[in-house]
Amino acid sequence: MEVGPIVTSKQREEVVHGVPTEVVCTAFSNSILVVVTQYGKMGTIVYVDPNTISDNVGRPSLTTKVLLGKDEPLVHVCAKNLVAFVSQEAGNKPVLLAMALKDKTMEGIQALREVIRSCQVW
Amino acid sequence: MEAAGGEGAAAGGIALHDFSGRLGEQRVHFHAMRLRDSLFLWVGAAPALASLAVAMCSPRDSIPVAASLLGDPSDTASACLAQRLASKTKKQVFVSYNLPNTDSSFTLLIENRIKEEMMAFPEKF
Repeated sequence: MEVGPIVTSKQREEVVHGVPTEVVCTAFSNSILVVVTQYGKMGTIVYVDPNTISDNVGRPSLTTKVLLGKDEPLVHVCAKNLVAFVSQEAGNKPVLLAMALKDKTMEGIQALREVIRSCQVW
Repeated sequence: MEAAGGEGAAAGGIALHDFSGRLGEQRVHFHAMRLRDSLFLWVGAAPALASLAVAMCSPRDSIPVAASLLGDPSDTASACLAQRLASKTKKQVFVSYNLPNTDSSFTLLIENRIKEEMMAFPEKF
């Protein structure tokens, strides 16, 4: 008996600012898994969790926790920049982000965000 | 067919593979993601991700080293399965095991189902 997949995934391969990039998004009932890689590996794993207490403008603030890899400020900034919108659009679900980036410039991150958006599973 | 599909996948790129199996009383779903030198595998009956562990082979030890990344750290089911798959594949393996049943006899069934799928679709792991 064939049974369809229980989780939905979308993936995309694109050259972003000259760097070959792969993105895979998978929707789980309690979280979204986003893999953004320019090395083909999982890289740094960050858990991006929306707090129930919202900030002044009514959006929940995000807590980032590095589960695996270098825990430095730039990682937290990149993580929030990449997937804050995913968490928000998914109805404030936490996002498990695996990222291995060569290009961490503002422009690079912005372009990656659009690739993530094109893999919308939430 | 196998050669064409396998070659294309082996050239790089993340390969996704979903499969399932009836193990004991319940249907268990699997979601595998093959990356470069690493593997992500989710196991569950409902589509939730509540735990994550990583394991990889160590040159100093015959048993792969493992670490729990997410979820209850006292629940070692994800880490144990990751260790077993790491020793089989020699890759870095991420496992998210989301079943309440963690009996060794049941996890052995899970492991066997995964190995069966690895034999059938080696290019997906």
